[in-house]
Amino acid sequence: MRAIFKIALGIIAALGGFLDIGDLVFNTQAGALFRYDLLWAVVLGTAGIAVYAEMCGRVAAVTQRPVFDVIRMRLGFGMGLVGLIASTLVNLLTVAAELGGLAIILELLFDATFSMFVVVAAIGLVVVVALLPFGGIERLFGYCGLMMLVFIATALHQGPDWGEVAHGFVPSFSGSTLYLYFVVGVFAAALMPYEVHFYSSGAIEEGWTESSLRENRLNAIVGYSLGGILACALVVSGFLFHPVGVDPSDLGTVALPAQGAFGETGLLLALGGMMFCIGGAAVDSSFSASYNLAQFLGWEWGRYRGPRKAPRFTASWLVFLFLAMLIVLSGINPVEITEYSVVFSVVALPLTYLPILMIAGDRSFMGKHANGRVSTLLGWAYFALIVVLAVAAVPLLLATNGGGG
Amino acid sequence: MRVERRWRWVPAAASIAALSICATGCGDLSRAELSRGVESLSALAAQGGLIANGVARDATKSTYSRVMAKTLGDEAEHEAEKLADATPSPEVTRERDAAVQIAGEIAQLFSELRTFPGDERHGVLVQRHMREAKERADAVVTRLTGEAP
Repeated sequence: MRAIFKIALGIIAALGGFLDIGDLVFNTQAGALFRYDLLWAVVLGTAGIAVYAEMCGRVAAVTQRPVFDVIRMRLGFGMGLVGLIASTLVNLLTVAAELGGLAIILELLFDATFSMFVVVAAIGLVVVVALLPFGGIERLFGYCGLMMLVFIATALHQGPDWGEVAHGFVPSFSGSTLYLYFVVGVFAAALMPYEVHFYSSGAIEEGWTESSLRENRLNAIVGYSLGGILACALVVSGFLFHPVGVDPSDLGTVALPAQGAFGETGLLLALGGMMFCIGGAAVDSSFSASYNLAQFLGWEWGRYRGPRKAPRFTASWLVFLFLAMLIVLSGINPVEITEYSVVFSVVALPLTYLPILMIAGDRSFMGKHANGRVSTLLGWAYFALIVVLAVAAVPLLLATNGGGG
Repeated sequence: MRVERRWRWVPAAASIAALSICATGCGDLSRAELSRGVESLSALAAQGGLIANGVARDATKSTYSRVMAKTLGDEAEHEAEKLADATPSPEVTRERDAAVQIAGEIAQLFSELRTFPGDERHGVLVQRHMREAKERADAVVTRLTGEAP
């Protein structure tokens, strides 16, 4: 019973960390612009993150080495440094986007100046991280993020044409560059590198060993699948905007379908769920930035060690949060930052996922827990896809004027 | 001396580049550009209608309506300014003027929503006027493109 409870907690934590501002924006816009046509891309991205998160968790549990340790070991110092710089820049943009998103939600709930809420959000995150243990942080954002379930209810309430919804799960391609840009965006939003960095370091924070492998598999598969269902629900609820030509590029607009379906209660659940998902992602991405730096440079790291035993890790986390705050306060629209962070993360993806794939399949390192045939096949298939998207991402960003058409 | 001669082409090239930029970017507001602007006005009005619907049904939170109305109202005002500042090609002057008027009306409706975010009666009125503004914007798009949006 205790084991089941523990697994349930992990699944909820994985669910809470999966949806972030990128998923909220890209999936709702996908529904508004292309109806259900991009549901297949959501499924593809969700399966991809589940495959790689499972590998990362397995490597961490078996070898006690987190992702960036593995990256430096496999790619060497030079390429590892390139990976570190790329992922740090993407992580910093992501933290800024999440912090800005959090401030937007607070503004919608309490109506004061945006810049004040940016500072409030940053202080709030510092307080939460200072007061709660690692598991507590995960559970706070995971449990409260469950308010996002209102989007599943909203999608069902809209009474979609299920035939068309089913058709959306069949991959389709159009010649439109905007469509291709959204394929990249929806896929990349699901596979943001910080998610696997956090997942693998989190496994070590929680003391996973070989006996945790079953828990790891369930967390990755069930947790991310639930996240994927929520992402699909966002696409379906975004369909509300399609007939009237609304492009839900404001974060507040994402909550409108829930208000339309369930009134004020729906709106509050939607905003609350978004706030905790984005808050969780802000913690995950800022921790990831510090994990990567500390692991690459060989510093003591980990929330479980506390600020005294891991002072440089703690200080770097605060610095990342502060820099992110400055970026948002500079006046750049957080949704624009999100779009850039998602697209540029695609470019950094190969540097994150190749070393994971190599080490997870290395029998001399992983022993009997190395990748089997299915994991190897899926891993390389996804890697090939990631490389293609990495090449296409920036030209598509430029060709579509950042998704503006 | 030879160096000076070598760089003599720079001012000429810069002038050509500046003229080219003006020819492509600072010229008349084209039919397609105007159409895109009016389509975004139609989308703003649709979004305003959805927000006003929440106010009309007393099914929203007033802070949410107020902040959304401010954000979208600013966008409508910006669109109105952009359209008003642009020099339209002669064949779309009438449509440009209509678009500026619609943008101004939408901005005004958002301002009303911002002032009365919890008033159901205002919500009903704003919703109706947003629908009318959207219909007029759609009609302008139809005139510009020859097809319904």
